[in-house]
Amino acid sequence: MTLPPSAHPTAGLGLKPQHYAEALACGAEGLWFEVHPENYMAEGGPRLAWLDAIRADHPLSLHGVGLSLAADEAPDLAHLAALRRLADRYQPFVVSEHLAWSTRRGAYAPDLLPFPRTRGALVHIADNIARMQDALARPVLIENPSLYMPLKGHELSETEFLAELTRLTGCGLLVDVNNVAVSAHNLGYSAHAYLDALPAKAIGEIHLAGHAADERLGEALLIDTHGAPVAEPVWALFDRLIDRIGPRPTLIERDDNIPAFAELMAERDRAAAILKAPVHA
Amino acid sequence: MRELTRFQDAFTTALAGDPDALLPWWEDAEAGAAGLSVYRNTVAKGCADAIVANFPSVERVCGADWLAAAGVRHAAEHPPARPSLLDYGQAFPDWLTTFPPADDMPFLADLARLDLAWTRAHLAADASPLGAAAFAALDAEAFAATAADLHPSATVAGFADGLAGLWIALRAATPPEALELNDAPSAVLILRPALEVAIRPLTAGGFAFLAACRQGQPLALAAAAALAAEPGLDLAALFADLIAAGAFAALRSLSA
Repeated sequence: MTLPPSAHPTAGLGLKPQHYAEALACGAEGLWFEVHPENYMAEGGPRLAWLDAIRADHPLSLHGVGLSLAADEAPDLAHLAALRRLADRYQPFVVSEHLAWSTRRGAYAPDLLPFPRTRGALVHIADNIARMQDALARPVLIENPSLYMPLKGHELSETEFLAELTRLTGCGLLVDVNNVAVSAHNLGYSAHAYLDALPAKAIGEIHLAGHAADERLGEALLIDTHGAPVAEPVWALFDRLIDRIGPRPTLIERDDNIPAFAELMAERDRAAAILKAPVHA
Repeated sequence: MRELTRFQDAFTTALAGDPDALLPWWEDAEAGAAGLSVYRNTVAKGCADAIVANFPSVERVCGADWLAAAGVRHAAEHPPARPSLLDYGQAFPDWLTTFPPADDMPFLADLARLDLAWTRAHLAADASPLGAAAFAALDAEAFAATAADLHPSATVAGFADGLAGLWIALRAATPPEALELNDAPSAVLILRPALEVAIRPLTAGGFAFLAACRQGQPLALAAAAALAAEPGLDLAALFADLIAAGAFAALRSLSA
């Protein structure tokens, strides 16, 4: 399977099983899909078959959530091997993971957990990213997580840490603009300044998603729920970022309260329009 | 890296219920605790959502909220071992037998086991079932010296009560309003011959036949077991039905 020459990825959608048939039938120009490889780590069956069919018509991205690159141990070899099998089968145009940890000592906590960004952690995580890239024989993109907990002990800012990782490993960046908005709000820094500090050349993909106020604490704490449409302030940040760096493959992520396919396509089309002509250009 | 280990040990302890472990990393303990609760909620929800997704028959009996709450308790003892949650919950049926709120529902663990069998079939390696032509060539002599291997996705399960029937009803697109567990023995074949998982009720004869096949017995002995379990059974019809269902993957000669 190789990418049809016309299918240059513009704006895409996170692929949900309930939308398989509509995704397969949709011919929107530049439309691409992203899946979590963990949801396709099966020996066989309908999920893999659907993804084969969709991949035959659309570019695909594998967006990992479970490799746990920031854990204090090396990535799990079986997980890396399963990821490689999926990458070989589906020939994704991009493979990505998070600057976070989740699996450690054989137990998986389904979340993207924080850590103090020390120089020591930088060297170790760069090593883990190198292992991932070696296993896949390709460079990967690393995503900024959403942050909820102010921590003592950071030696580098997140943008410095990410920039250093690109320098040390040759990896690129997946910028989740919603996560930037959520983290900046929760930890009290400027989302604009954060986005401006990222090295434009390293950015290979952008994520957009919805967030919500914490049920208990209200607006003081924003939660990256992926359960609502993209918020207007996030659209504004996205527009400004594209204005600075130019178009990048951009994904609408939705993992909860999943609406009709057409509703997600409307958000996706809004992103595609901004990629063609940033409002502030 | 030692600093990373110290932090992640503390974070793991905090996630498990002891927030004070993170105090050395918190300037503002209130903000730290608020953040921790977001992570704890997300981890619990991730485990609970996977249990609700993987045990639909239990959900239909107990409701999603009950099952999610059970899923959170279960995860404290049996956290996921790997980041793919597609088949998470292998320990869940046995765990249910230790969960006091399930005490008055002793059938729940077997329902959960059948849900696991469905998931196993769903995720199994693709394999073409054996067609009727492969069986047509077997004469009586070969019948006595040939075993039929079940399709690799297949589970055959029999119960002394109506549990299999209850499970089949619970997995229907629209389960009946009133469900009951009757006393009549029941059995089910779960398999995925192509892309869809198929659920087939089995009579006593059908169950005995497939159970014998699973044990590797020759077809003639499997047929005898089926007739013993269900006198008057139409063996030819059963055999044709199972072949059409895709229940078999290979024929294996038993002659030395």
